[in-house]
Amino acid sequence: MDWHVIQANLPLLLRGLGTSLQLAAVAVLLSFPLGCLLAIGRLSRRAWLSLTCGGFVNLMRSNPLVLVLFWFYFLVPIITGRAVSDLGSIVIAFVIFFSVYFAEIVRSGIQSVGSRQVQAGLSTGLTYPQTMRHIVMPQAIRAMLPALTTQCIVVFQGTTVAYIVGYDELLHTASMAAERTGRPVELYVAVAVMYFLVCTAGSLLARNLERKS
Amino acid sequence: MTAPIIQIQDLGLAFDGFTALDGVSLDVMAGQCIVVCGPSGSGKSTLLRCVNGLERFQRGDVVVDGTSVRDCRDLPRLRRGIGMVFQHFELYPHMTVLENVTLAPIKAKGLSKAEAERVALHYLDQVGIADQAGKHPGRLSGGQQQRAAIARALALEPKVMLFDEPTSALDPEMISEVLRVMLDLARSGMTMLVVTHEMGFAREVADRIVFMDRGSIVETAGTAQFFSASQTERAREFLHKVLAKI
Ligand SMILES: Nc1ncnc2c1ncn2[C@@H]1O[C@H](COP(=O)(O)OP(=O)(O)OP(=O)(O)O)[C@@H](O)[C@H]1O
Ligand SMILES: [Mg+2]
Repeated sequence: MDWHVIQANLPLLLRGLGTSLQLAAVAVLLSFPLGCLLAIGRLSRRAWLSLTCGGFVNLMRSNPLVLVLFWFYFLVPIITGRAVSDLGSIVIAFVIFFSVYFAEIVRSGIQSVGSRQVQAGLSTGLTYPQTMRHIVMPQAIRAMLPALTTQCIVVFQGTTVAYIVGYDELLHTASMAAERTGRPVELYVAVAVMYFLVCTAGSLLARNLERKS
Repeated sequence: MTAPIIQIQDLGLAFDGFTALDGVSLDVMAGQCIVVCGPSGSGKSTLLRCVNGLERFQRGDVVVDGTSVRDCRDLPRLRRGIGMVFQHFELYPHMTVLENVTLAPIKAKGLSKAEAERVALHYLDQVGIADQAGKHPGRLSGGQQQRAAIARALALEPKVMLFDEPTSALDPEMISEVLRVMLDLARSGMTMLVVTHEMGFAREVADRIVFMDRGSIVETAGTAQFFSASQTERAREFLHKVLAKI
């Protein structure tokens, strides 16, 4: 075992970690709002909207992330005849894929608030969107905080899938370094520790937020 | 003679096949307090929800202050003129009492925050809980919560107030503080449509009592007449049961 190799490659690994975190952050920030819209659409009284959103959610949930990424990375450029940047296709795939999981979390959160609160809001002359925004969503988000945190961690772990298209996230960076130095064990241990630390920090943060609300 | 402020005209509503309202007609004049009673499932709540368009009906119409609910293109505007109080208060637990009361005046009516707070404190004072304005509803007693909910409805300065069993979720010792507020409101000339089994309240301020059964009004009578000589067997039986409970 040669632990110096970790030290030598630490700046590189940290840069990879930064890339993974950024990718996860962008994916969460875009897929969560999209998930909210999907959830609201799915709960709509308009049948066409509810069926469309429900169908989309079920379709996406039955596909693995790798396949969705393949679609956007290889197939969309073929179909449209236009090249999509690496980052572009990764982000699009992540956002579409993860938005349906957020949609399911948000949907159960909204349902936990219940229709009587909606009726109360409507009865005071608020519109339906205002009622959702000011009355239902704040309560729903509080109820779903634990599930949302878990999902954010899943998104972060999911960024490793960008490895397969050669994007420089943490795992890919580590594997390049492993190949270059011939020290895979040390480097993958380092990577595992990094994932462990980030995920633990995330859970602790969530537990804190939960206690405060 | 002026037109009634609420006209319920041959209202009919079915929930997939089940008839919840079957030809209900009722006029409420401005300033009147009408008490609606009747057994569970007779359609009282459904009737109230039709008045402010929370429930869609298939037959007949409700006209509130000249506006047809059936043809109404702007339900939020209609609802601003109709306050509603619920059995389980339905305060927003994530907001303070003051925020509960100011939300709709700010967002639906367009008042400034300062103006909305002034109005809110006026009505919180009227229901006797101005000192609780900064607390969250969960910290209030049931009676205080229901009074806050009444203030929330009043803050929109509605022409009509609907009450759906406002005291039936309360502990006995808190019922009277809520009824007190409602009595004052009725005496100040507010038009009220009240679903309740509080016959003491009805006797005190109701102009008329309406008895519903299986989606229809089976009896409507002046208050004194209702208590002294109910016409229908069902109403007599019901009254007997309700009065025996007190
Ligand atoms: N959304 C709904 N879907 C199906 N049936 C409903 C719905 N709302 C009410 N009902 C039915 O309509 C009937 C009338 O209900 P409603 O709540 O108006 O009665 P109520 O007189 O208020 O009774 P309670 O005293 O129990 O509050 C009941 O049989 C109820 O089961
Ligand atoms: Mg009811």
